[in-house]
Amino acid sequence: MQPLDVMWVGLGGGAGSLLRWWIGRVVGERYHGSFPLGTFLINITGAFVIGYLSILFGVDWRDRYGTVLNAGVLTGILGGYTTFSSMQLDAAKLAGANRPGLAAGYLLASTVAGLIAAALGAGLAYLQH
Amino acid sequence: MINLVILVFVGGAIGAMAREFLMLSVPNLADGFPMPILVANVVASFLLGLVTGLHNRRAVSDDVNTMVGTGIMGGLSTFSSFAYGAWVLMNGAPAGAAVAILYVLISLVLGYCAVFAGLKLGARGTA
Repeated sequence: MQPLDVMWVGLGGGAGSLLRWWIGRVVGERYHGSFPLGTFLINITGAFVIGYLSILFGVDWRDRYGTVLNAGVLTGILGGYTTFSSMQLDAAKLAGANRPGLAAGYLLASTVAGLIAAALGAGLAYLQH
Repeated sequence: MINLVILVFVGGAIGAMAREFLMLSVPNLADGFPMPILVANVVASFLLGLVTGLHNRRAVSDDVNTMVGTGIMGGLSTFSSFAYGAWVLMNGAPAGAAVAILYVLISLVLGYCAVFAGLKLGARGTA
């Protein structure tokens, strides 16, 4: 790994995190239900895009650096944009607010929808080949 | 507002770089089990719970919470690689589907326990 890879990961991670923060705010202003919709939408769209770009550009899922695409975009932007920790915090907050069913349903829905989104993104890229 | 932008950007950059270094130092297991992503996600979940617990009782400021919680832990953890990695495993070798299901379940359970433990520890205080 080169210093340039670290720079791309950092720049991408910062940009992706800003995008996540901004979308979270926009969704939070418009939606006031108890389902953590912002994080859900962020994670599902991120899973779709990583599936699409990985297949389109033939990037192995274990290759995390070496080019601007896998260091800056896949590891950086998409890694910074999506979040696993906030998903778990959302679930813990729901469980703490006496909504354990919704917490479990949210984790399950995020995971299943994330897998489907990654598959759809990959499928779209295969269609374009 | 501009302060928040800087905190989130710098935090996200630090978190993503930490994840990258973690991936270089933690190997994938022989059957393709994505150990580095699991470690990054579980560690980030614990620390996010911790900073949230500390912030809830005003032991850390809003700015620290934004930079560490939203920035660093959001950048360190990743859902896109989690979901895509699981999907790739499912489509690989026949044993891959079992590994993928194990990976997803372990990630969800350990991640939840980690954030819960972090919240408890932060609420109680470390000193």
